[in-house]
Amino acid sequence: MKPDVGVVMQGFFGTLLGDVAPHLSAEYSMGHVGIMGLMLHMTGELHDRAADIRLAENSEMRSLFSHAAALVEDEALKQRLTSAAETLDASLRISVLEANNAELAALLIELQTHVEGSQASWAAGLEARIWDYLVATMERRELPFPSFG
Amino acid sequence: MEDLAPRVAAYLAHRMPAASNIEVSGVSRIHGGASRETFRLRASWEEGGTRVERALILRRDPVASLIETERDLEYNAYRAFHPTGLPVPEPLYLETDLKWLDRPFFVMEQIEGCAAGSAFNDDPYGAHAKKIGRQFWTHLGHISAADPQAIGFSANMEPVAPDECWARELEKWEKVIDEDELVPQPVARAAIRWLKRNPPPPTEKISVVHGDYRTGNFLFDGEGNIRAILDWEMCHLGDPLEDVAWAADPLWAFKQPERPGGMIAREEAFRLWEEASGMKIDPVRLRWWEIFNSLKGLAIWISAGKEYQTGANRDPVLAFSSWYCTDVHDRVLAKRLAALSKEARA
Repeated sequence: MKPDVGVVMQGFFGTLLGDVAPHLSAEYSMGHVGIMGLMLHMTGELHDRAADIRLAENSEMRSLFSHAAALVEDEALKQRLTSAAETLDASLRISVLEANNAELAALLIELQTHVEGSQASWAAGLEARIWDYLVATMERRELPFPSFG
Repeated sequence: MEDLAPRVAAYLAHRMPAASNIEVSGVSRIHGGASRETFRLRASWEEGGTRVERALILRRDPVASLIETERDLEYNAYRAFHPTGLPVPEPLYLETDLKWLDRPFFVMEQIEGCAAGSAFNDDPYGAHAKKIGRQFWTHLGHISAADPQAIGFSANMEPVAPDECWARELEKWEKVIDEDELVPQPVARAAIRWLKRNPPPPTEKISVVHGDYRTGNFLFDGEGNIRAILDWEMCHLGDPLEDVAWAADPLWAFKQPERPGGMIAREEAFRLWEEASGMKIDPVRLRWWEIFNSLKGLAIWISAGKEYQTGANRDPVLAFSSWYCTDVHDRVLAKRLAALSKEARA
């Protein structure tokens, strides 16, 4: 698709802020246009990396669950971790990846809660790995924000 | 857009029986007040043989909002603090009868010739940053030092014990996340568990808590004087360090973490608050409220996202809050909680 989605969104951002907003008389409308332009700027970048981010997250959570399944003693949780680790992303559509991501994230919360309450020898290492994943995820998802300073 | 002018004029006539020939003009909605519709307007009338003109602000309940708040809380806060000398607008009328403007609203003085700094600007106050910062933290100290009972703030306000402030606030915002999350929130849930496992010591004093005291929620003039502290819709009684931590939250002027809200250095800010409040900042309590506030932020942004997603409110600021602010607070909390987890396991 040409021009590229990112290029179009950046272009719209510039047009809204440079050409449209200054000609609006209502402060309320100007505010809306400013925010919408900013979100187009963000969308331009998110569009390119959205699938990649979710694919990577889902893969890392499955890997984490596979590792955890070998450690936790709770049989029911172990079974669910094993099953989740074997799932696949059947499509690269964002809606599919997001739905899978939500299911995996719900299980991650359950696993993290379980690990926090454990004093087993493996607990500290697994807890650290979960946090490493979460910190990396939040860094990976960081939104672009133009400087207005 | 609906024409509010004649309806507001009719209302003012009802509230000011001695006034005649009331005219309302220049009704203009102010952007950003996602928890309440805010309009500026000019009203003029004849009274005692002279023509009087006054700039006013009208705050009306929205159909749906970023945060569900009671307008009388905010109005009562203005009423309590206005006589104390704290810079707040003079509250004029609180109205809950829907016949006037379809929804409850209140009217207050408009502070003219001022601006509000953007919380998302790298440098919201420019050359006035230090001057504004010193006032900002001193005013907060005065709010914290105020006697809620003596100034009339406590009336109709739910009381709270010094050792229960944290639990009440945490329960309130956890409920918001429970009800409004659209996807599982691993970082928010980890924060809730940490906050429950590590309750703070009791507050030394039950204070007025503004609830949203930060860059963007006050007006300053061209000389760098703070003229009005606004947006009291989340005010309550509680631990004064809740406000200190929220004012210093890394989200505000995010690219200047060493200067909370883009004003003055954290150390100077806290020293000024201590001087004005007469209290000392307990680092253990402060840490708890810092983590709580990032969670409270997440709860607000999650709620905003649900409002937009469901179509209850299509104000773009709700979508923006849900994207950008969630992104920042998730990152801030993840890093902080990861470090605390490793510290606790060491």
